[in-house]
Order: sequence, then structure tokens, then C-alpha cells
Amino acid sequence: MRLNLKKIFLALLVLAGFFSVVQSWLSTLNLNQGGAAIDAWEARLMPAKKALPIKRGVIGYVGEWDAPGISYAYWDQESEYLLAQYSLAPLILKKGAVEEWNVAVLSEPAFAAWQKANQGKFEIIPLKHNVYLFHRLANP
Amino acid sequence: MTVTSFLIFLPAILIGSLLIHLIWPERSALALFLKFSLGIGAGLGISSILFFLSLLIAPGRVNMMAVQLALLVVFIAIVILRERGQAWYRFKSPTLSRLQWGLIGAVLLALVFAILASVNIYNSRPQGAFDAWSIWNRAARFIYRDPQNWRATTSPDLYWGTHADYPLLVPLNVAWGWETLGTETQRVPFAQGLLFTLASFGVMFASVGLTRTSGQASLATFVLICTPFFFETGIGQISDIPVTYFIFAACALIYLYFQLDYAPILMIAGFMAGLSGWSKNEGLLMVAVSVVVLAVTSRKKMFKPFLWYLVGLAIPMAVIVYFKIAFAPPSDLFAGSSHDTLTKIVDFSRYWIILKSLGQETLTFGGWPFSILIGLAVYAVVMYTNIPSDSRMRFFVLAAIILLQLLGYCAIYVITPHDLEWHIGTSLSRLVLQLYPAGVFLLFSSILEPEKIFAQKA
Repeated sequence: MRLNLKKIFLALLVLAGFFSVVQSWLSTLNLNQGGAAIDAWEARLMPAKKALPIKRGVIGYVGEWDAPGISYAYWDQESEYLLAQYSLAPLILKKGAVEEWNVAVLSEPAFAAWQKANQGKFEIIPLKHNVYLFHRLANP
Repeated sequence: MTVTSFLIFLPAILIGSLLIHLIWPERSALALFLKFSLGIGAGLGISSILFFLSLLIAPGRVNMMAVQLALLVVFIAIVILRERGQAWYRFKSPTLSRLQWGLIGAVLLALVFAILASVNIYNSRPQGAFDAWSIWNRAARFIYRDPQNWRATTSPDLYWGTHADYPLLVPLNVAWGWETLGTETQRVPFAQGLLFTLASFGVMFASVGLTRTSGQASLATFVLICTPFFFETGIGQISDIPVTYFIFAACALIYLYFQLDYAPILMIAGFMAGLSGWSKNEGLLMVAVSVVVLAVTSRKKMFKPFLWYLVGLAIPMAVIVYFKIAFAPPSDLFAGSSHDTLTKIVDFSRYWIILKSLGQETLTFGGWPFSILIGLAVYAVVMYTNIPSDSRMRFFVLAAIILLQLLGYCAIYVITPHDLEWHIGTSLSRLVLQLYPAGVFLLFSSILEPEKIFAQKA
């Protein structure tokens, strides 16, 4: 009896293992192309990378969280910041318009709010798809 | 490009395998398979250390393939010289029963499904998991795109979420891989991840095969392959599977040392433990835990073998210590003041949250249709067999390492400066994963084998 129980448990382990691995494989058959979003983000930031006059060192990164009065989803902004860091490597991105050269990814209302709060401090170079370069004109 | 992304790692793998063969010249089929599986990790560890040293000496573009091929020629020459006149005629392929062939067939079939799933996941998201691009491949890009200024990857100006303090084994290999191929293809980190995943299966099969039987080895490997979270993490291009692999390899080798009583095996174990610390910070805890456990054990007639372990640790630890002192910014985990830390230590609600989360993880870990951890515990009870007195020492040493490592993870959660529930939610499953293969190995090395179940008469 006990011996049969052991055989049954062994067989159950093998069956459950197959169920697990086959189920896992089936669940991957129609996965969405999650990687396309990262490619698109990289492509979006490429013009900024080309336009920047420095290829190493520290630049600023301006996101919606820097625009006064604009609501934003924290984790979306965090992910976009990390994606920008990944895309623009080996440049180092610090949060905020804190360096001479700064990359910004802002929606139109966020850009308007940010521009209003920083009048005259930066030369603004608009690129495509809501990406901007902000070049500091003088120390605030 | 896919095949070449794997082939570029071949010289490193051969260097690792030959080095291990020089230290442990056992020639049985299983030992050779184990040494090849260990050689994958050892070789990738050696190649990353060589690249790190070359960047230290002369920052800039390095032809790592030429360096490795030259080293490989040296190793081949040494091994040929040593193997002359050795008794290779004793080598025999193992004779297997129908049950054993059946279980090996199950392993191979499961492996096919796991690889198919892995390829589908890669095709869907070639950039890997969130941590892959935000931490590991980000670091690889810093090194590959600007090797003269590679130190920027550890700059304290980098946002803490990019974890500039993390060790560099994985990014360095990706960077020289890109350099060798001349392009920044995602297939290189994918290939490295898949190699570590497959090497883990190989170490499981060969080490359980050496400690027990082929049938038991097949079952243990089958369980690991059929754990979707394991291979999904492996192809996620993050360092969790490399650190898991090295922790597991060190544990299996420590166990084998106690069984075979051949001290140089501990040197390989020490090297593997050291490389776990060069893969991810959790590996440093493994180094500390294993040294403490072996030091305590060494009081009982194994002082010299313990020294072998320390010798194995020496090179990777020297690299890690230099990296941490000279380059790495402080870890975000120790950013709190000592007062904050003390407050957290005496806050018992934190312990309750950690315990509750561990309980929940026990129920959901691994991606099986049921709780695999509870399932394996029940399986162990059903297949229980008395551990012979000469095996108890190795059982308890390995159990102590696994338990202390888990307690160490919990201690980090207690003092973490981050929101505890967020920290647990984003990392606990991967920490359990890091101990999972070592746990599976210990379990299947201690319970009744399928051969005995089917040999007994009711």
C-alpha cells in the first residue's frame, strides 16, 4: 500500500511537471510585442541624442513631475526616466533641469506649465514627439 | 547572429571546464558532465574578471576574443600534458534501466517545451525584463559605448534605481560580447541568460547523479525545468539566474566534498561562491554565510579543506572588494541612519509583514498549477528515508547555508530604507528563486530514489 502510494506520488509529480511546463509554453504563444514599446521609446529619443553636443557626462532629465500643477502617474514617469537613461547611455541623467544640457519629455500642457515657470532661463530646442532639449542660458 | 551569440562564449566555457578539470581530475561521465556545466559559469566568471582587469589597466577597446583564445590554447596545452598516460580506457558510458531512460526522456521533453517558451518570450520582449534594461544592459551599454570612460557606469550621479553599485559579471560579458560581434544585439544577453539557465539544469542532473542515482537526478532536474518562473527569469537577461546558479553550484560542490572527501572540490566551491558575489550583491551574503558555516564545521577536523575554500574565494573576492572600494557608490539598502535602522529592528510589525509575505510566497512561488514548495514538502514526507549517519554532516551543512541565507534576506527586509511592502513585492520571489535549486538539490539528495521504489515489491 505504502509502496503504491510512493509510485502514485512520483507519477503525480511527473504529470504535474508536464502540465506546468506545457501550460507555460501555451501561455507564451500569443504574447504581445512588449519590446516594441521600448524600441519606440529609444527611437523617440534618438534625435535628442544626436542633437546633444556632449556625448558623455551628466545631463538633466525633465519629466512631467517637473511641471508645476500637472498631475502624473509616478510609476509611468519613473519608467520613462529609466528608459531615457537606458536609451541615452553613456550619458548620465539627473532628475530635473539641473545641468547645462537637459532632455525633456513633456506633454503639451506639461511643457506649457514648465516653460511658464522657467521663463528666460533656458534656450528651448523642440524636437519631434514632445521631446525637447533645454540649454541653460545662465545660472539661476 | 543567434548562433554566433552563443559561440562567442565557447572559449570562455572551455577555459572554465578545463580549469575545473585541472583542479578535479575525476573522469566518470557524470563528473565530466558536471565539470562542463560548472565550466559554463566558471568560464563566464573568468571572462568578466579578465575584461574588468583589462579595463583597469588600459581603459578602451579590448579584443577579448583574442585574449580568451590565447588563454584557451595555454589551458589545452596544460591539460594535454597532464592527461598523457592517464587511464581514459576506464571511461565507460553508464548503463541505464528502462525507468532511468524514461525519466531522462521526460527531462528532455520538458526541456524542449521550456526552450520553446523561452524563445517565444524573447521574441515578444527582446530587451528582457524591467531590471534587464534599467540595470544590467544599461551598465553594459555604458561599458560598450564608452569603454575609455567605463567608470561612468558606477557614477554616484546615476539615479539609485539604476543600481550603479551592483557588481559587473553580467554587464561585462554582454559588453565584450557586443564588442566581439561589432553590434549591440540583444541576442548576446539572451544567450548568456540561457547558458546560465541550461548550466543550472546540468549542475542539477550531474550533482544529484553523483550523490544518488540517474533516476533521482532526472527527477530533480525535471522539477527545476518545469518551474516556469526559473526559465522565464533566466531569459529575462537579469543577474538573478547567474547568482542563483553560482549559489547552487557552490552548495552542490560543498555537499559533494563531504561525500567524496576530496578537498580541492572546495576550492571550486569557493570560486563559485565568490562569483555569486561578482554577479549580484546577494552573493556576498552567500560568501559570508558559507564561510561562517564551514568555519564552524572546520573546528571538527576540516581546517585544511576550509583553507581550500578560502583559496577558491580569493580571486573573485579580491576583484569584488576592489570594485566596491574603488568604484561602487554606496548601496541604497544601507542609506538609512543608524537610528532609523535601530527603530526598524525593534518594530515587530515589520517581522510580521515579512513572515506573512513568505507564507504567501510559499503558496504561489514558481508558476506551477499548485504550490510547488508545499508539493515538494509533501513529496519529501512520502519519500522519506533515513539519512545515513555518514550523510548527516553534509545534509546539515547545506541546510544551514540555505537557512542562514534566507534569514539574511529577511534581515535586509527588516532594515530596508524603502517601503517594506514595495520592496518585498518587487524582490521576494526572486530571492526565494535564488535558493530554490539548492533546496531542490538537498531534497532529492536526501529522499528515496525512483529506482528503489520500483525495485521494491509491494
